[in-house]
Amino acid sequence: MKVASVLRLTAVVLLVLFIAMPQAFAFLFEPLTDNRAPAIYNQGSLLFLTLQHLRTVALATLASTVLAVALGIFVTRPSGAEFLPLSRSLVNIGQTFPPIAVLAIAVPLVGFGEKPTFIALFLYGLLPIFENTLTGLTQVSPQTLEAARGMGMNARQRLFQVELPLAFPVILAGIRLSVIISLGTATIGSTVAAKGLGEVIIAGLQSNNIAFVLQGGLVVALLAILIHDGLGLIERFAARKLGRSTDEVP
Amino acid sequence: MIEIDHLTKRYGATTVVDDVSFQVEEGTITVVVGTSGAGKSTLLRMINRLVEPTAGRVLIDGEDTRSIPEDELRHRIGYVIQGYGLFPHRTVAANIATVPRLLGWDRKKIAQRVEELLDLFQLDPAEFAQKFPHELSGGQQQRVGVARALAARPALLLMDEPFGALDAVIRSKAQDDLLAIQRRLGTTIVLVTHDMNEAFHLGDRIAVMDQARLLQHATPAELLMHPADEFVERLVGTAERPFRLLTLTKVQDALEPGSAEGEPITASESLHDALSRLMWSGRKALPVADASGAIIGKVSVGGILGHGRPLP
Ligand SMILES: Nc1ncnc2c1ncn2[C@@H]1O[C@H](COP(=O)(O)OP(=O)(O)OP(=O)(O)O)[C@@H](O)[C@H]1O
Ligand SMILES: [Mg+2]
Repeated sequence: MKVASVLRLTAVVLLVLFIAMPQAFAFLFEPLTDNRAPAIYNQGSLLFLTLQHLRTVALATLASTVLAVALGIFVTRPSGAEFLPLSRSLVNIGQTFPPIAVLAIAVPLVGFGEKPTFIALFLYGLLPIFENTLTGLTQVSPQTLEAARGMGMNARQRLFQVELPLAFPVILAGIRLSVIISLGTATIGSTVAAKGLGEVIIAGLQSNNIAFVLQGGLVVALLAILIHDGLGLIERFAARKLGRSTDEVP
Repeated sequence: MIEIDHLTKRYGATTVVDDVSFQVEEGTITVVVGTSGAGKSTLLRMINRLVEPTAGRVLIDGEDTRSIPEDELRHRIGYVIQGYGLFPHRTVAANIATVPRLLGWDRKKIAQRVEELLDLFQLDPAEFAQKFPHELSGGQQQRVGVARALAARPALLLMDEPFGALDAVIRSKAQDDLLAIQRRLGTTIVLVTHDMNEAFHLGDRIAVMDQARLLQHATPAELLMHPADEFVERLVGTAERPFRLLTLTKVQDALEPGSAEGEPITASESLHDALSRLMWSGRKALPVADASGAIIGKVSVGGILGHGRPLP
């Protein structure tokens, strides 16, 4: 636990320092450049791009969460049960359709920029949240539900006071998975002029500058690791309160 | 008083509860016994309308339960199931507070009630109030389950195999505790079990069910002495009958004048206990004391044995 905390803190500090003053790290990347090419990305602010990247991912995940959780709740109610297979296939299509193809279709419809990226991430992020919402809601023990009903909780009270709190750690695990996928996938948004860390990578590819590619990739990777770790902590805390061992949470 | 009036439940072509009627007097315990699949749980769940009857009705103090909104009805009826169904994400205190919270009691009143119940069930509030269900033993979970069902002072308590998950020692203690609490609060209880000993221990009246039908509804003594049919007779246990009868009879009822040697037995104990003491000590008779300890007579082996068979 101690070691993990130290590592976590180190990663945060490194990331913040690098984003805020990348020039200080120039010496690390110089060996990777040739012909006196710049060692540090110089076509825009790394801090700005990181925040934009996070913004797109956050908005897309938020939208996926709202829709996937709502859908998950709906199809686990008696009135919505018949829509379960349909919703499953729809959500699955969202996942199997490559984000790059979504971009290609979305650009003519909504134009360049953040919007097509948002759509691609949103669709791509639905599946893990939806599936985990289903798992979380269906694994609530029948006895617990019987007791809730027997004590006179109505359907809404059962959902908000019993089912959702019990499903929370599992739903959170789905959101975490979705965020991590989106963080990486969001880099392709730069191909349609969305502001984000993909810009750094693409600039590197275009000018044959490995240092840029590495910088973009590193920042995305560090972000992913830290967010994964942070959400994981919350999940474990929530699961422990329920008396479940953490490895039960997928 | 609870009147179960020609209750029937069918699922498709199968009848699960077939025209069952009986009454439960205020402040008494009625135990529903029968083999697995007899329809006991279904009958119980029709009382709080977790299952809608196909035909028949349930009256609580003369009021048809169908005229009360479902949730409101269930707020008024305590319900305990096998495994208890405690909310894993809520503390013991929050679990017990469930119905009062649904009823919108104010926080102080709820806190007071929770503490009162924890005391009643011998769970130290300081130690247990903030624990989560998974941190409790089976016996403690069981007590929390019953406390939760009693929280809003229901006049009626439904229990479906509430002791089924407990080991023998804890179970008999839990039964004694339930009896004591029931006598104290005067709660009306309908309890389902397939344990005949439990039925005789707890029941003021016993309802025997088999294959969806109510075979007999009677006091334990009647059930022993006048079983309605062969099934009831077998269920009651032919070999056990005299001993069960002795368990149901108080020393008071076999009191004889005179005196005897040895440690006195109290008049309110059962003849079963008296016989057991006599056999173990090798005596023929024991002095009997009343509640204050004064000797009021004796009880003898011969006198006890006379009570182990139906009166002519
Ligand atoms: N929802 C349902 N749909 C169809 N059949 C049902 C339903 N609920 C119960 N049954 C059937 O009704 C019968 C009686 O069930 P019930 O649960 O009342 O029995 P029980 O006496 O409580 O048995 P046990 O002692 O095993 O708990 C069983 O055969 C069961 O399969
Ligand atoms: Mg049952």
